Amino acid sequence: MFWRLVFQLLRGSRGRLAVAILAIVSGAAVISALLNLDLGVQNKLTQEFRTLGANIVISPANGTPAQISGAEVPSLMPQRDVLAALQQLPSAQVSAAAPYLYVVARAQNIPVVVAGTWLDQAQKLDATWKLEGNWVASREDDSHCLVGRNVARRLHLALGNPLELHYLDRSAQCSVAGIMDAGGAEDNQIVASLRTVQSLANLPGQIGVAQLSVTGTTQVIADYAARLTSALPQYQVRPIRQVAEAEGALLGRIRLLIVSMVLLILILTALCVLGTMAALAMERRKDVGLMKSLGGSISRIVGIFLAEVGVLGAAGGLLGTILGAALSYWMGLRVFGTAIAPRWEVFPVTVALMILVTLAGALPLRMLGNVKPAEILRGA
Amino acid sequence: MATLVQVENLRKEFGNVRALDDVSFRVNAGEWIAIMGPSGSGKTTLINILGGLDTPTAGQAIVDGTDVARLDEAGLTRFRAEKIGFIFQQFHLVPYLTAVENVMLAQYFHSTTDEKEAQQALERVGLGDRIEHLPTQLSGGEQQRVAVARALINHPKLILADEPTGNLDEANEEIVLSLLRELHTEGHTILMVTHAPSIGRLADRRIEFAHGHLVHAAASLKPELA
Repeated sequence: MFWRLVFQLLRGSRGRLAVAILAIVSGAAVISALLNLDLGVQNKLTQEFRTLGANIVISPANGTPAQISGAEVPSLMPQRDVLAALQQLPSAQVSAAAPYLYVVARAQNIPVVVAGTWLDQAQKLDATWKLEGNWVASREDDSHCLVGRNVARRLHLALGNPLELHYLDRSAQCSVAGIMDAGGAEDNQIVASLRTVQSLANLPGQIGVAQLSVTGTTQVIADYAARLTSALPQYQVRPIRQVAEAEGALLGRIRLLIVSMVLLILILTALCVLGTMAALAMERRKDVGLMKSLGGSISRIVGIFLAEVGVLGAAGGLLGTILGAALSYWMGLRVFGTAIAPRWEVFPVTVALMILVTLAGALPLRMLGNVKPAEILRGA
Repeated sequence: MATLVQVENLRKEFGNVRALDDVSFRVNAGEWIAIMGPSGSGKTTLINILGGLDTPTAGQAIVDGTDVARLDEAGLTRFRAEKIGFIFQQFHLVPYLTAVENVMLAQYFHSTTDEKEAQQALERVGLGDRIEHLPTQLSGGEQQRVAVARALINHPKLILADEPTGNLDEANEEIVLSLLRELHTEGHTILMVTHAPSIGRLADRRIEFAHGHLVHAAASLKPELA
């Protein structure tokens, strides 16, 4: 009989409760979407930040500069040491990695910085570069190079043009595969294969720096850097704090924003339910007076009404959560370009929150405890 | 015959207004009593106190051995559920419950529900074909018959009827009165508030009130009792 009463109450007051259920469904939908976003945004943001470039740099510790044909150059590292250390660590966390060797060579008798690297990794490590032409797909391709837009302008280079590089008494050739617009120092550089630059500088197997893009939170990146430091104690391993900390700070702000909005929505939903329940409590005074005259205790009577409110919260919460999952999916597509999959843990959390907030909104039902049946039935 | 209701020096005040003043009378089990008097004479106040809906200011109101004045809120609730069957002038059915559910509501607050028994109670008052109807789908007389079925479902010691035919036309009045006659014949104790002398004469005794005082307690003018 209890549930029969509850559902008849719901059916009987559906008009009045429509406003409350609309508020609960809307509140649950937004909360569910926000919680899905909160859980999904970390991965999405990390992916977004990875496009900003490397977040760990390995370089020689400060020490004696190297000598190349009598010229002094910064300290170098054996390429094999770095690669061996990287192979010891989990590769799944590393989305891109490349060694670099920089030399200041001459092209058309003009000094220009030449970076030797694995050209197939350049696109992953520097995804924000705008490139006219083509990326170089293989790190074994020594015949192509990328040219910064300022260098191309000064040397009057176009796509496909041959380029001859000179360093001391050595030289190397490549053709321009792409002209890059990085909006930074790379616009004044030429990027060639690592092997080409090592050969040009006569430094086979030597690199000046290695860059890695590691996927994960600030903490994950810091942990990975610490393990690299252990594996390469003779070198300096450092996270690029600007990127890592910006990511952490942004995630923190987004979480604060989401939590604030969830709280605000919960309060608004409770207020809306409160208004509806206050009106409903006034309407039901006569029913309560009658139920009391039939021998119903106030705890039993209010229990029926609270169950009604609980069902309302659960049903509204469930429906809203499903709508919210669809909303977060759509928002993921709009904001990040990929869908944010609904998280199962959001369902019980949202439904429980809506039941709690609806019960809190049902506070006016407490006034039914003061109903005097004799007064109510006399005045009806 | 055993005394079911014993009222001794009962007083009820609402602020400065004395609704009942030094009222005393007794009702034996199985009696049908008509409580009569003009509006504001204290009839409904007396019914409310005897039914545990209100508490007296002073005096005793003992129903089936229980002094209503001494019961706390929980005690009054159990008292109403177990010993009293109310029939109101305005029927007071829950509008979103069907006829059978309205009867079952009284069962629910008493102990456990039995839909079959509730249906039989409705059949007894001639509403076997209206079981699933909502109050808005029933006439006034039919609604009052649902209220009678609800009042009887828990086999109460005392039926309190406050102007049970006050809102009914003659035809429905006759149906409800015949139901009360049946209940009386079966041995139920009925206290019925009424304005109408013709209805009052159906009872075993009349108790008349004026300005909160009991002014007359007499046997009915029913031929068999006169």
